[in-house]
Amino acid sequence: MKSIFSYKTLVSILYFAAGIALMGGIWELIASLTKNEIPSPKMTWAVFKEVMNNPFQDDPDYKGIGTKLLSSLGRVATGFGLGSLVAIPLGLLMGSSKAVMNIINPMVQLLRPVSPLAWFPLGLAIFQDSPKASIFMIFICSLWPTLINAAFGVSHIPQDHKNVSKAFGFSAWKYLTRIVLPFSLPHILTGLRLSIGVAWMVIVAGEMLSGGIGLGYFVWEEGFNGGSVAKILVAIIIIGIVGLLLDKFFMSLQKRFSYAQ
Amino acid sequence: MRQFPVSAADNKLAAIDQEIINPALHQDCIEVKDVTVSFKSAKGLYTAVQDISLTIKKGEIVSLIGHSGCGKSTLMGTISGMVKPSKGTVIANGQVVTQPGPDRGIVFQNYSLLPWLSVYRNIYEAVDAALPRKSASEKKALVEHNLKMVNLLPHKDKLPAHLSGGMKQRVAIARAFAINPSILLLDEPFGALDALTKSNMHLELLKLWNLDNREKTIVMVTHDIEEAIFLSDRVVVMNNGPAATIREIVDVPLPRPRNKKEIVHDPEYIRIHDRLLNLLIEKFSIDDIHA
Ligand SMILES: Nc1ncnc2c1ncn2[C@@H]1O[C@H](COP(=O)(O)OP(=O)(O)O)[C@@H](O)[C@H]1O
Ligand SMILES: [Mg+2]
Repeated sequence: MKSIFSYKTLVSILYFAAGIALMGGIWELIASLTKNEIPSPKMTWAVFKEVMNNPFQDDPDYKGIGTKLLSSLGRVATGFGLGSLVAIPLGLLMGSSKAVMNIINPMVQLLRPVSPLAWFPLGLAIFQDSPKASIFMIFICSLWPTLINAAFGVSHIPQDHKNVSKAFGFSAWKYLTRIVLPFSLPHILTGLRLSIGVAWMVIVAGEMLSGGIGLGYFVWEEGFNGGSVAKILVAIIIIGIVGLLLDKFFMSLQKRFSYAQ
Repeated sequence: MRQFPVSAADNKLAAIDQEIINPALHQDCIEVKDVTVSFKSAKGLYTAVQDISLTIKKGEIVSLIGHSGCGKSTLMGTISGMVKPSKGTVIANGQVVTQPGPDRGIVFQNYSLLPWLSVYRNIYEAVDAALPRKSASEKKALVEHNLKMVNLLPHKDKLPAHLSGGMKQRVAIARAFAINPSILLLDEPFGALDALTKSNMHLELLKLWNLDNREKTIVMVTHDIEEAIFLSDRVVVMNNGPAATIREIVDVPLPRPRNKKEIVHDPEYIRIHDRLLNLLIEKFSIDDIHA
């Protein structure tokens, strides 16, 4: 058993390494084709080490990359947290009541396809503050996947489970906590996972608009305006890794709370 | 698993049997009056059962048999309060049935356990909801007692997904018993059990019924003719649907306690068995077989 497991792990590590090598090869090729207009992995690595130097420096005139990352994550967490606090109960309500579904659904259908960036100026107009506008934007775009998945979960509670509640006279509270929530939790977590993915994508774009301390602004200001393509690449890699970790975290939650049917 | 030698258990039942003279028995407990149940479907109204009338006395054990889809579960549902009759009324324990209540314990055909709760919690939550006045320790004792009865105490922390079909069924039985209802409504309760476990459960059911001075009224859906005869005072045979009605009610006047091994040779048993078989098999035509 154990040897099979380690064999599998070894194989997946090899595949991962092969993928990275392939990506590095293509990158190297592009770098040489563009005559290092796009810096090679090696040059980027040098810049990466430089950027990572003293990452949590937090002086008024210079913020380290880690400080910027945390600032971005903080905004995502706030917007995502607030969005989920609204989306989960509202989704549960939509799923359990046809009337609420019929009232809210058209609104969701109308607003969901709107690019999150379009909410930024509205946030700015409301809050007169660009970090708050970014949070507002994250808040809005975190709503939809969670709302829709929570509503889907609740509206698909099997009749058998409802029968148990009815037959033994479950109170509304017991029905909510012993049937509705456990049944819809995997769906809610799916929604949260999608939401955090969107939020992480949107924060970078938002910070390009809003400026301030964050990864998005780093890409724009130090990368593009500063004329350092290597810094843009470094930022892309960091953004990618953090996004991957966020996704893995929510995936592990999903695994943890899915029950065998 | 504990094994009861069939005849020894029956001897015990015999001893209890002689003590029982209960004046409260033989009053009407369940009255199904002119009940029709129709379901709305895409193709229009589907009438499952029509104009059913059936009176069951307190302490009686009655089985419902009939072909799949004839409306046995639906009829049970009207007694439990899970299904609203489109026409007619059901009276249970002197009250018109409008919804389920703790006086009626239900074992659903498909167990209906909550997959995220352990065996123990599945029963506890039902007890907690149905008997809110009991203290936490009383509820705990009830759950454990009933788990012991179905031999599942060692499995109390398992999730339903890790149980066999027969074990799930026993959890559902323990859950229904745990709220100590005066009416037990069992929808194919022993269908998924192997012959040995089934036999034990029959004896356990009768033991509980005896311990309670035979005051519990039991209505059971089954496909098993032998089981129906062994357990019941009467067997209700239903016609095929749609709009199923009662085809015939067959009395089972075999004296109790009944010995599983011996009654099969009883001429009365054989007569009832043949009668039931005829009632069920007559319904088969060439068309049915090829359908
Ligand atoms: N909730 C429902 N909605 C629509 N049709 C139903 C419903 N419940 C049962 N039926 C139909 O009523 C008939 C009787 O079903 P049921 O009582 O479950 O039969 P049985 O228990 O005898 O196998 C079947 O044709 C079934 O499809
Ligand atoms: Mg049925």
